[in-house]
Amino acid sequence: MQTVLSKLLTYIFVIIIYLFIYAIIRMIFLDIRTMYRKKAGGLADAYLKLINLRHELDFAVDESYEISDNEVIGRGKKCDISIADKYLSTKNSRIFKSSGKFYLEDLDSTNGTYLNGEALSDKAVELLDGDKISVGRTNFLFVLPAKSE
Amino acid sequence: MNKKLQSIRPLFLLIAVNLLGMFLIMLHEGNADKTMAMLSIGMCVLSIAAYIIISVCRLGDGYLFIIISMLSSVGIIMQSRINPENGIRQMKLYLLGVGFFFVTMLLYRVFHKHLRRLTLLYFGLSMLLFAVTAVFGTVKNGSKNWIVLGGVSVQPSEFIRILFVLSLAAILTNARLPEKMKKSKKEKKKADTDEKNLKRMRLTLAAGIAYINAFCLLLQREWGIALLFFAIYLAFLYIYGESRLFFLANVLMTIAAAFVGVNFMSHIQVRVATWLDPFADITGKGYQITQSLFAIGTGGFAGSGIGSGSPYFIPVVSSDFIFSAICEEMGVLGGTAVIMLYFLLVYRGFKIALSSTNDFNKAVSVGLSVMLGIQTFIIVGGVIKLIPLTGITLPFISYGGSSMITTFIALGILQAISSMKGEVTDEIE
Repeated sequence: MQTVLSKLLTYIFVIIIYLFIYAIIRMIFLDIRTMYRKKAGGLADAYLKLINLRHELDFAVDESYEISDNEVIGRGKKCDISIADKYLSTKNSRIFKSSGKFYLEDLDSTNGTYLNGEALSDKAVELLDGDKISVGRTNFLFVLPAKSE
Repeated sequence: MNKKLQSIRPLFLLIAVNLLGMFLIMLHEGNADKTMAMLSIGMCVLSIAAYIIISVCRLGDGYLFIIISMLSSVGIIMQSRINPENGIRQMKLYLLGVGFFFVTMLLYRVFHKHLRRLTLLYFGLSMLLFAVTAVFGTVKNGSKNWIVLGGVSVQPSEFIRILFVLSLAAILTNARLPEKMKKSKKEKKKADTDEKNLKRMRLTLAAGIAYINAFCLLLQREWGIALLFFAIYLAFLYIYGESRLFFLANVLMTIAAAFVGVNFMSHIQVRVATWLDPFADITGKGYQITQSLFAIGTGGFAGSGIGSGSPYFIPVVSSDFIFSAICEEMGVLGGTAVIMLYFLLVYRGFKIALSSTNDFNKAVSVGLSVMLGIQTFIIVGGVIKLIPLTGITLPFISYGGSSMITTFIALGILQAISSMKGEVTDEIE
């Protein structure tokens, strides 16, 4: 009886290890997929380009961030563009696309969102190619490649 | 939210494995012992705490530690099953190892800029450790490679592995010649020859260090670790050698050395003979390997169940032959799962190497990943009679303090490197 039970439980034990392996592989796979998406900047509608020199910042930032329909910038880990700058709010600002145009919006952040040096009010503002977006200590250039039909 | 659930699913599975393992051990022992419950709960708490620290403080790769926790859990469960006291000691070692993991990570993050210049220190330290072992060492299982320090026996050759990887990485990625203003043709030519000389010097130094280390290990009769060192050296040459001829020459040298060993050294001859035909001397020299094979055979595909096998027949089952015990009780299915966990670990190591922006860090992480992979291959291959058996530990699972702590230090360095991804390459000078 005991042998049967231990055998059965060992099956379950091993199966759980396999499930664990599967879960990890799946997570890694998703990671790689998002990484590829990030790299393939040519496919994106628009992207943010970092203006600061990276070694001036004491936190990790990517050189560029792809912008699709809706991107939240903030310190929180769940943000689409998550930057560990302590001058950022958990959810600092949002860039979203509406009828083919991109808009920037401040999400009631403590230190605000700046577009070309001016603080944003409550209203969302349309973004144009070459606009400078400043959040926390980071400055980005908004790049909207002209569509060649 | 779905994404979040996905990222903590492995943690749940880890807890499930620990609880189930605990239950199985209790079933086997036949009494509800408190220590076993404490062990598995402690293991869960520690793993989760470490995972949270790593993900909240953004200390780099989130997968490394969770894979290590799984491997260590399997290790602790197997150790407790073989001998409950060993299980408790293994748990303590795991605790100590996690401590070393975090300390190493912090130290590496702080000092990594200086580490590439300390080649001489690494080499000196390894030689010192060899010398200390040779003078004060005690003999265990036929090799003089243990030092007893205040009641604790330490195996210095384990720690030399990391020094070896660091020294090779430091030599091979040594700062290149400063870019000269290549104005005149003559100067350009000179710079070229300088560059060539530097490359040659680097390779010679690396070869020198590798051969001296391997020689010292052979003097100590540490075949397994000598083999490991050489594999790491060849991997480095393959990646950084830039000269196929030199790589081939080294491979040929290795083959020649192996040939000499097989033909003229009795110690190696015995190992090769038992590898080719362990059943010829089943009661004597082939005893270990045949018992291991019997155990794996008895286990079959799905195993006999944890607690229902008889791993006691295998000598040194808790350290070198732990993989046979796993195969006996969890079957080939369980053994494969363990090997796959190592695959994932080594894959993460290479991934970290690929995404690192600093060439010294890149070299170190390649070296450490190769070390882990080859080590697993050598011992698993040994116990399943794929290659001649050489005594070396299975990382995270085998019983043994020095090996456990060394592996945790290695992983701590990998974790530190993965956490420095966002940093810019700062080539000094």
